[in-house]
Amino acid sequence: MTAPEIAGPASVVPTTRPGTGGNKLLRFIIVRFLLIFPTIFILVTLVFVLMRTIGDPITAALGGRLPADQLAQRIEEAGYNRPILVQYFEYIGQVFTGNFGETISDHRPVVDVLVRYGGATLELAFYALIVAFIVGIPLGMLAAYVRDRWPDAILRVFAILCYATPVFFAGLLLKLIFAVGLGWLPVAGRASVRTELQLTRVDDPTGIYLIDALKTSNPGAVYADLLAHAVLPGVALGLLTAGIFLRLVRTNVIGTLSMDYVDSARSRGVREYRLVTKHALKPASIPIITVIGLQIAVLLGGAVLTETTFEWQGLGFMLTQYLTARDFVAVQGIVALLAVIVALTNFIVDIIAALIDPRVRY
Amino acid sequence: MTKILDRLPVVRHVRQSVGLQRGMLVTGLAITAVFVLTAIFAPIIAPYGYSQLRDASGTFGAQLPPGGAHLLGTTVGGYDVLSRVIWGTQTAVIVIIVAVLLSIFAGVALGLISGYIGGWLDRVLVVIADAIYAFPSLLLAIVAAIAISGGQSSFWGGILAAAISITFVFIPQYFRVIRAETVRIKSEAYVESAKVIGSGAPRIMVQHVLRNATRTLPLIFTLNSSEAILTLAGLGFLGFGIEPTAAAEWGYDLNKSLSDVTSGIWWTSLFPGLAIVLSVLGITLVGESLNDLADPRLRTRRRAEVAAHTPDPLEVQP
Amino acid sequence: MTSASTKRALGVLAGTAAFALALTGCTASGGGTDDGAILVGTTDKVVTLDPAGSYDNGSFAVQNQIYAFLLNSPLGSPDPQPDLAESAEFTAPNDYTVVLKPDLKFANGHDLTASDVKFTFDRQLAIAAPDGPSSLLYNLESTEAVDDTTVVFHLKAANDQVFPQILTTFPGAIVDEEVFSATELTSDDDIVAGKAFNGQYEIASYDFNKTIEFVPNPNYAGLLGPAQNSSVILSYYADSSNLKLDVQQGNIDVAYRSLSATDVADLRADDNVTVHDGPGGEIRYIVFNFNTQPYGATTAEADPAKAQAVRQAVASLVDRQEIADQVYKGTYTPLYSFVPDGFTGATTVLKDLYGDGSGGPDATKAAAILAAAGVTTPVALSLQYNPDHYGPSSGDEYALVKSQLEADGLFTVDLQSTEWVQYSEDRVNDVYPAYQLGWFPDYSDADNYLTPFFLTNNFLGNHYSNPTVDDLITQQGVTQDPAERTAIIEQIQAVVGEDLSTVPLLQGAQVAVSGKTIDGLTLDASFKFRFATLVKG
Repeated sequence: MTAPEIAGPASVVPTTRPGTGGNKLLRFIIVRFLLIFPTIFILVTLVFVLMRTIGDPITAALGGRLPADQLAQRIEEAGYNRPILVQYFEYIGQVFTGNFGETISDHRPVVDVLVRYGGATLELAFYALIVAFIVGIPLGMLAAYVRDRWPDAILRVFAILCYATPVFFAGLLLKLIFAVGLGWLPVAGRASVRTELQLTRVDDPTGIYLIDALKTSNPGAVYADLLAHAVLPGVALGLLTAGIFLRLVRTNVIGTLSMDYVDSARSRGVREYRLVTKHALKPASIPIITVIGLQIAVLLGGAVLTETTFEWQGLGFMLTQYLTARDFVAVQGIVALLAVIVALTNFIVDIIAALIDPRVRY
Repeated sequence: MTKILDRLPVVRHVRQSVGLQRGMLVTGLAITAVFVLTAIFAPIIAPYGYSQLRDASGTFGAQLPPGGAHLLGTTVGGYDVLSRVIWGTQTAVIVIIVAVLLSIFAGVALGLISGYIGGWLDRVLVVIADAIYAFPSLLLAIVAAIAISGGQSSFWGGILAAAISITFVFIPQYFRVIRAETVRIKSEAYVESAKVIGSGAPRIMVQHVLRNATRTLPLIFTLNSSEAILTLAGLGFLGFGIEPTAAAEWGYDLNKSLSDVTSGIWWTSLFPGLAIVLSVLGITLVGESLNDLADPRLRTRRRAEVAAHTPDPLEVQP
Repeated sequence: MTSASTKRALGVLAGTAAFALALTGCTASGGGTDDGAILVGTTDKVVTLDPAGSYDNGSFAVQNQIYAFLLNSPLGSPDPQPDLAESAEFTAPNDYTVVLKPDLKFANGHDLTASDVKFTFDRQLAIAAPDGPSSLLYNLESTEAVDDTTVVFHLKAANDQVFPQILTTFPGAIVDEEVFSATELTSDDDIVAGKAFNGQYEIASYDFNKTIEFVPNPNYAGLLGPAQNSSVILSYYADSSNLKLDVQQGNIDVAYRSLSATDVADLRADDNVTVHDGPGGEIRYIVFNFNTQPYGATTAEADPAKAQAVRQAVASLVDRQEIADQVYKGTYTPLYSFVPDGFTGATTVLKDLYGDGSGGPDATKAAAILAAAGVTTPVALSLQYNPDHYGPSSGDEYALVKSQLEADGLFTVDLQSTEWVQYSEDRVNDVYPAYQLGWFPDYSDADNYLTPFFLTNNFLGNHYSNPTVDDLITQQGVTQDPAERTAIIEQIQAVVGEDLSTVPLLQGAQVAVSGKTIDGLTLDASFKFRFATLVKG
């Protein structure tokens, strides 16, 4: 198992011999770009089918309130008992005209839902990536530097613990220690009540609190409150990725450390520390870029759990709510957005990797 | 005798390894062994049943702190925490077995077919596999879990729903490996010659693909096992898992403990969580050691291909 | 994290935490722009502010503050009184005539006339939103605006005693015909921008399911009087743990719906907050399917007497107090009849008929009931519950019920659960012999606990049919004399208590938690939480 692990959808790109010609690169980019669409289409279709098999939103809302015949009548009126293909083509037709519809359970335009809660998820992913970089990359370099000695073993076990610990358990532990036990940090939420109030009152709120905070009357206090709320969720989710970064940096730095040119630098008397930080890190950064792309999907998956643990009202949290309400429209909208994000990042990562290293292009 | 043992994947790896790597591998194997043994002997080890609420002297009581008759306390629902943790290993092991077996069979079959036949079928399958592979697996598993179980949470209903929904997201991984291997072997001389002779090409291919795949499959197997535990726990934590009267499940217990945390009740979350961490840790230690041993750069520190194609299956952690 | 690496991990954590602490520490005096406002926290959700599009408690909790009704429940009583109305009465058996107070206005200055009232009810019936409450207007034929202040409701059935109750609830909120659409739901933004409010409050700022700021509506002229405070800010929480800590630490003044039982128990022990308990209309019960339960009509050994004995034995074996204490920590209380405590006409019929006579279980009695009917024990009973619709404790509740039924060897219970949507479909298709269900009242009247449940062809769909009960239920619905009607309601409970179509288990208490400085918090049998009475002392 080698290439397919990272190359992603590139594996169906028509095989061309490695070359540096501009139109080959262009061809690669175009084919790779066109592949985004079937990817999104497949996921949306998959979720559409799955969603229709798990019940309708009207039963979900009123199953405990109305007699069976009234329920059936309402389902009929709403058209949820039509053949699934009819509903599917109707939905696809709407999506093609740019109409993602209105959520069923709370009558919101889906686009509004995505913007409103997407901001929160984006922020959480941002915090997590910062933690992952701060923790993962230096420690990974350190592990490579001290490789095969006991500090290396400790760092590696730490890395494994990072991804062996489910984010929600890490979150619960952090809450128990820092929020409930020591009382240092808030236990949950994106901001305290009064801060949220201030943020809702700014002109044209973006939903991304880090941006909205600038427009408040006392940004300093607001930022402090936001950061205090961000620490625990950011760490809980970030450590997951940090463990993967640590492992990846270690593996790749060790790999490059054994290359000829590093050997020759070593023989010239360059110190091992410099070898790790200067000579080996740069070539090792290509796979790291690639993995960051794939980590976006991991982060989004982890965000669902982190958001539930920390009552962080983002897309993942809302996804579980909408699923429980059997709100087809909302769930499809959220999944479509996530699919677009994942497909786009993979596309960009592939292109970057191809630009840096022509061999990736096959 | 030693010769035969040496050919078994894990035993061979232990012999091959040295120093720290051996330490990690052996630790991992030990934890995993404890995990599996606990699962097998759960009925004997656990002081109470997983859904037991009362004994001869009445109900246990809810949220009792650790100590006395309940070594690790009781949950908000009045279950014995220790018993639930022990029984939970059984649920986890069953889900791993079902999920991994199903995905190996489905993934290997699809990979072989896709790689051998090629053409548009291959391309379509690859695009589908890539789409599912790239997407956050837990999200698909949630939707699939509801669809599969029909909302039922009986023991096998719940376990199968969890296992199949995990399978769903694992298949692409096996599919990719087997397909790549098939495509590679298809152009090898002995297959070409078998084709020229006009018979037996598929049979020879299957043999060779499977023989070669046994080198990589144990690795994916361990990684998927740990991921299965995490996905099962994630489903349970989000409330889409197995109900307590049907089986003990760690994620469910963590979900219920979420509201205990703010009241300073720590024992309902700590122990099931530790159980997850330890079991995943054990399996992952084994997996990573196998990975290191399979990767010449990490084993011998000799020069090798640059890292762009490093096998890195951990990318798919949820 | 358990190994030696904990130190390193903690080091990183502590470093990050210290950084954030330093930031928070120097700006602790932030905020303070809303002094005087009362902060209320909730985990409810709003579906929409449009009364035609919502049939849920979260939306109604807001609508109740911003819309007025023709009739409403005064503080402390469930019985409807004229609110926007000056008078409301039957002028003919099928005509319910309401005369409005003169010169009513919406917060935006529009006149509130009989035409708005007609518009309100016409649009409910015209829109009939799939998740809306229009089905409660089942008895309304048409609405007629006679003049500016007189409205006549033409009813399908005569002398309907429930209709006035319905005017106090979901579909009865009066809306502004100049702001709302007659044919489709009106968006929250349009409602807020149009200031189409006529309740005690208007909405000053609205951020969907995050915060709502209420300020008193100067134009409110209804029953409840003007709001006692200058503003209320309602803040939405994703889950209860933050809500609990915020009220405990004084970051918010009131927490209302829904704290977990663990949270409430913990808060009761805290001197900094007051836990308020009020009567609750929510009930939990076990439904028996008369066809498929043991000895049910379509089973191989059908025998109505034995089937009844099984139900009665269950009623004698369940220990409601134990469930209320262990699972709900007092946030639910035992329920011994079909009409919950606090309603006019409620009895405790099951306490007298079953168990030890004072509410506890009695295995000897249960055994005797089964033996008398010739039922062989243990009885195999399949019991279903739903884990995701009636709160997180349903699993614990039913595990306990199972253990209570099995404790003395009279039953072997096969306990299963099913997720809500499937559950709702299965239960009306005779899949479950016995199952959990809950009910939250649409309006504060005993009728809402009888008509939907025990008429033949009821919403339970459990094939229960008793002509005597049918007659009595119909009769109470049209009996004008309150004392006479109460007597009939009591009689219905006695009859159903023998039949046991359902076995009621628990009644939910309303629980609100407030800081020590808050006065005027009232939880009464109207089940309407009113912000207007809150004052900060």
